[in-house]
Amino acid sequence: MKGRLWIGVLSLAILAGLVTTFRIFTTGFVLYAKTDILVWTMPVAAYIFFSLTSAGLAFVSSIPLVFNIKRYEAIEKRTVFLEIAVLCAGFICLILHLGSPLKVIYFLLSPNPASPLWWLAMLYGLYLVVLLVSFWKIHTAHASKALGTLVFLIAIGTSTALGWLVGMTNARPALDPSFLPVYFPVTAFACGLAAIMLFSLASSYFSGAPLSAERSALFNEVAKVFGVVIGTTLVLFIWRTITGAISSSGVEFAAFRHMMGSLSYQTELWMGLVVPFILMLLPPLRITTWGKVVASTSLLVGMLAGRLEMVLTGEIMPLGPMAEGIPQFVSYWPTISEVLAAIFALAVMLLLYTLGDRHLNLDGTQDKSEAGT
Amino acid sequence: MPKYVMVIDLQSCVGCGACSIACKNENNLTEGIFWSSKITETSGTFPNVRYHYTPTLCNHCEDAPCVRGCPTQAMHKLDNGITMHDPKKCIGCRYCMFNCPYGVISFNWEKPFKFWRDDTPVIKGCTASPRELVQKVNNGTATPYYNPEREATLPGARPKGVVEKCTFCDHRIKNEELPYCVEACPANARIFGDLEKRDSEVNFLLGKFRPFRLKEGLGTEPNVYYIRSFNPAAYKSTKGGV
Repeated sequence: MKGRLWIGVLSLAILAGLVTTFRIFTTGFVLYAKTDILVWTMPVAAYIFFSLTSAGLAFVSSIPLVFNIKRYEAIEKRTVFLEIAVLCAGFICLILHLGSPLKVIYFLLSPNPASPLWWLAMLYGLYLVVLLVSFWKIHTAHASKALGTLVFLIAIGTSTALGWLVGMTNARPALDPSFLPVYFPVTAFACGLAAIMLFSLASSYFSGAPLSAERSALFNEVAKVFGVVIGTTLVLFIWRTITGAISSSGVEFAAFRHMMGSLSYQTELWMGLVVPFILMLLPPLRITTWGKVVASTSLLVGMLAGRLEMVLTGEIMPLGPMAEGIPQFVSYWPTISEVLAAIFALAVMLLLYTLGDRHLNLDGTQDKSEAGT
Repeated sequence: MPKYVMVIDLQSCVGCGACSIACKNENNLTEGIFWSSKITETSGTFPNVRYHYTPTLCNHCEDAPCVRGCPTQAMHKLDNGITMHDPKKCIGCRYCMFNCPYGVISFNWEKPFKFWRDDTPVIKGCTASPRELVQKVNNGTATPYYNPEREATLPGARPKGVVEKCTFCDHRIKNEELPYCVEACPANARIFGDLEKRDSEVNFLLGKFRPFRLKEGLGTEPNVYYIRSFNPAAYKSTKGGV
């Protein structure tokens, strides 16, 4: 009964998303918080969030295959499947951002290798194919080290290229091109760890099958790694704040200083970093299931807000003639259509995961991993 | 191969906005989109204040960030220096807008010319509705003042979901005509020409005055230059005081 209700809720969210999609492509992007100043908003932030989470899951799935830590094989199949589901959510957000998505054929017909966006499109296309093949291999009990390594390398490529994409803008120095290609992969790893913990524990809870002692020990170890990665992220975050808010004199950094007071920045700091770090720092809290679930959920929500903050930091100060008659900083609040677009992507991801969890035996471990092949 | 540049004489510019209106007519720009616009600023503290007016348009940068970032080469450079946009290849990602340091690229958020699709008459039972007017004047296409000559190098009106920006009126240049904003300027404040011609007016002006370009520190090498400034005021010679 609970399962049917869950599928029903997801189906409703997907239906609302499909209606929103139809409306966006018939009425136009006026349904978004449209201005020529805020050209990238919630759908792009959600796309970056899902893409980086997928890359982070790739880092997790590479632990047994690339780094030969065999005990992580127990969660590899689930991680790779979740990676596919999350990547699909990212694609939905991207499609709902593009004004003319049917023209993506020109990525192939008229390529521009100088563009980070072109590289991202190529990498993501390859990523999805390799992931699907990789999952199929694991599903048929033949994990491929070669494919696992390829997924790992592509994930490094996508997470750093996203930093290149957002950071290369000449006009927006607050988006630092040398900071983002470091910050994005680190936060991606944190999101990947959070996602696999959250979804594994949730699956175990809803299926009514308690975790085995080995799995509990494994998730305690994952939680420790999670704590270290959050700590690293927190250090990077603090240095970004120091350099952006205190030791920079550029006028453009005023946007960052303004964003420091925003809900998205504060959510990233407190929900995305401080709360999960404290929960993972204290062993009595870290070893509890609720501690892991709260920390993971909190981090994922905080990171989504952080992606939005990052995108808005580059945009809230209008440039040139766009600034005519506009305040120094423009404000942003997502429209219903933007929220529904993000929920649509999330619902598709959750539905894919739910179906995979039910029918693909995601806890099945490989009997014969092809180590060395 | 020519290299086209524009020189804007800020002393001659009176800020009338004729360039912007001419541009909208020539290029069939929809509501809310301006390829030719302005930056207005005030400086000083009352009563010592001054108003500054800087006309703007796409700078047709040599090293254009919009061109570098466009994944499908929809935004591209022509051999004559013009930064051109091809709506057929534009996927509407808006990365060019995110990348442009000058804020001169616009997006078609919806089908253009919304006003002219309205069925409401200005005075009920007396005047025609905008839609009826377009039907009578122009067979229902675009606007009553639609310029079909724009179709020579671009869709006459750009569709929903793509970006657009100034093209230096490339369709007019092909016919050896000046960009329409230059033609329309009553004060001859916009001077257009070929930098490769040594005796061109633009070369004369750039040699005679000390030109500047917007945000030169970024290294985008804009092809729109500004000379002089509108400030005829004199002041009593002074060394200041402590």
